[in-house]
Amino acid sequence: MDVFVNLTLSGLSTGMMIFLVASGLSLIFGLMGVLNFAHGSLFMWGAYAGVWVFARTHSFTLALLAGMAAGAMVGWVMERLTIRRIYGNVVAQILITTGVMLVLNELLSATFGPNIIATTVPPLLAGSWAFGNIVVVKYRVFTIVVGFLVALAVHFMLSRTRVGIIVRAGVENQEMVQVLGINIRQVFSLVFVFGSALAALGGVMMAPAIGAVNSGMGIENQMLAFIVVVIGGMGSFLGSALGSVIVGLAGAYTAWFFPEASLAVNVVLMALVLLLKPNGLFGMGGE
Amino acid sequence: MALPKSQPAGLSRRKFLSVSGWVPMAALLLLALVPALSPSRATLNLLTQIIILAVFAMSYDILLGYTGIVSFGHALFFGSGAYLVGLIIKHSEPTLGYLLLAVLGTLLFALVISVLIGYLSLRVKDVYYAMITLAFAEFFLIIAQKWRSVTNGDDGFSFRVPTMLQHRVVYYYLILAFVVVTLVFLRRFIHSPTGRVLIAIRENEKRAEFLGYDVLKFKLISTMVAGVVASLAGVAWALQQQFISPGVMAVDKTIDALLMTIIGGTGTLYGAFIGSGLISLAREYLPELAEIHPVFGHWYILFGLLYILIVLFFPGGILGTFRGFPRKRKSQEER
Amino acid sequence: MILRLTHVSTFIGQFHILQDISLEVPAGEVTVILGRNGAGKTTTLRSIMGLAPATGGTISFMGESLNGLPPYAAARRGIGYVPEDQAVFAVLTVEENLRLAMLRRDRAGNERLRFVLDIFPDLAQKLKQKGGSLSGGQKQMLAIGRALVHDSRLLLIDEPSKGLAPIMVEKLAGALRQIKDHTTVVLVEQNFNLASAVGERYVIIDDGHTVQQGLMSDLQADQNLQRRYLGIAAAREGGKVV
Repeated sequence: MDVFVNLTLSGLSTGMMIFLVASGLSLIFGLMGVLNFAHGSLFMWGAYAGVWVFARTHSFTLALLAGMAAGAMVGWVMERLTIRRIYGNVVAQILITTGVMLVLNELLSATFGPNIIATTVPPLLAGSWAFGNIVVVKYRVFTIVVGFLVALAVHFMLSRTRVGIIVRAGVENQEMVQVLGINIRQVFSLVFVFGSALAALGGVMMAPAIGAVNSGMGIENQMLAFIVVVIGGMGSFLGSALGSVIVGLAGAYTAWFFPEASLAVNVVLMALVLLLKPNGLFGMGGE
Repeated sequence: MALPKSQPAGLSRRKFLSVSGWVPMAALLLLALVPALSPSRATLNLLTQIIILAVFAMSYDILLGYTGIVSFGHALFFGSGAYLVGLIIKHSEPTLGYLLLAVLGTLLFALVISVLIGYLSLRVKDVYYAMITLAFAEFFLIIAQKWRSVTNGDDGFSFRVPTMLQHRVVYYYLILAFVVVTLVFLRRFIHSPTGRVLIAIRENEKRAEFLGYDVLKFKLISTMVAGVVASLAGVAWALQQQFISPGVMAVDKTIDALLMTIIGGTGTLYGAFIGSGLISLAREYLPELAEIHPVFGHWYILFGLLYILIVLFFPGGILGTFRGFPRKRKSQEER
Repeated sequence: MILRLTHVSTFIGQFHILQDISLEVPAGEVTVILGRNGAGKTTTLRSIMGLAPATGGTISFMGESLNGLPPYAAARRGIGYVPEDQAVFAVLTVEENLRLAMLRRDRAGNERLRFVLDIFPDLAQKLKQKGGSLSGGQKQMLAIGRALVHDSRLLLIDEPSKGLAPIMVEKLAGALRQIKDHTTVVLVEQNFNLASAVGERYVIIDDGHTVQQGLMSDLQADQNLQRRYLGIAAAREGGKVV
């Protein structure tokens, strides 16, 4: 029982952090048709920025803010300089964002060196609560709460605000949104910057959870995010949320029995979804 | 901007760079003379590497340049070819017979995996291919890393190659023959009716579908050809290195193929040689310049920037631009 | 003239769809664009809107050039567009569809919203329903209503009667008559009955050229013209079936 609770908590915790990466990726794809291969790099920039700021200020709040700011800024520059020039050309977008990924990753390793940098959980969130045999790690609860709050906030934004209506309408038919007098390019930039900040937030939170940052964490989590959006359905916010929980839990449970296979299980899950429901659990049919 | 769409179909436009033209012939002749002119071990090894990686890049070009789909798991084929040949020879005898068996096994594996991945992803969306190839490559990479009893994990393993192939010069000529055969095969392929359909799909998928072509089938054929050629390149790589570690399957290898193809020129086949030459030389010599200026230690940034500039402004790559292909820029508004 | 097109030419891909379109739309009237399938009627509307940017000629709206403006800018100048396929957002509710078009939430906007619900009472009952669940006729009403909420001085409507049941076409004609007191309308319509029932002026486009324009009453009288460009085999007397 205690093992089960712990695995569930740890799976949910990982799932929430992947969700932060995946939801931005999926929104950007759904609205703009851009598959951002540098999304994991934004995650990593967030992680490094967070660790750097935390080591200097010992304030995790500042680390969170700095990480998100770093992600938003890099995302903004990236959208301006590259993506904006090639809207509508799917292949060129994949290629260009891959180039951006190379440069962003290499800039990090040029600044921080290729080795892992250790970090710690902020004192307030360190330790755990014990309920009989069940030990609940505080930081995991924290990530779950934050992830949940972000999910609620984004859901509220999408369903209630004008920007949300524009985004949902834009996913369905961009041309018609424009015809109603809305400059969709501005909305694109906004969503891109927002998605980048979310990915970076995921990075800041992931670093203390695994105790370090390293140069491989970007592509690793990006791949998990890909699996999530394939399972959940591209462009579906609800799909990203559910997909993240599935991927997080599946990874955690398998890791208990057979640690090596935790990624394999997710790849198999993805293959199954593709086979049975090619557009994902919540994907919109067709193109 | 239309990246792979910018070149006219095939190579027939400019004869002077085709196999029957004099440039490749002269290049081949020059390469064949190298062992006689400068038989140093380092030169031959570097050249062999460049040629093998060029074959790898050419196989990538079949996907990117001739079919218009992006793979992020191409290293899976390269790496599985290398691993299969290494494992089979290690666990049997280093004879040509077992080598042949290993090659056959590699081909079979490449065919099955490419059809599997292609079927799962390409029937949804082409962008899925990019994501799903990445996931599958990672999957096999993890097998290579974690199945220690067989693969010896991250440390890798070395193996003996058939005596005949141990001689550097012999192996060099064998690789030259390999690349010529591959080139002829790939050129035949892209000029065949199937290749024409692939180019039609790249240019306008809807129209190809409208004309009654089974687009998915043709894309699968393309991934099969690319997979098979890549895995043969992996076999050649393993035989040269006589050592294998999970690095051959890492995403960096795929990125290398991507860089080589884009920088050399997509949809040109020969561009792969330029790309491979540049990258291999950079990897060999630029780190040495790091003492002069630290930026050379991070030469990947330079390549990344060069790559971005090429994608944005010179979609024909070095070879495409050099040939002066018209670069039609699609309206940015087009969606 | 609220809208004036002079020698407009538009390419789509390599196809020269509009070759020489010149037309004038007087304010406060309903102008109907007629012509065979593929004549370039829809492309004319799309070129005005900036969705299919004109490559030659001039388009002026209220005395200012629209050439080179992106669609959202044309819309902000006061042009509403109702595409042939209605393009109602299926994932949004009827209310959200309408609110999306309201650029400012002011009193004028709310008044326009009330006007729309007034002339399309069907919509008023379905405000909370998803756009995707509406019938074809209701979608058409929503699409027109959306363009009206948007404070359009000029409304471009593409084949509103297409695929609608006769009773719906009748409702539509009634609504269009109410709308034309508020805004100028350019209507692309194949249904000659509807066209002649609501239209005051006509423009005939054939093969990318404007070939004839004038008062609808003249066209109704000229059976030769009808036969030549509209393919109306036996034009019914007066066409007042609606």
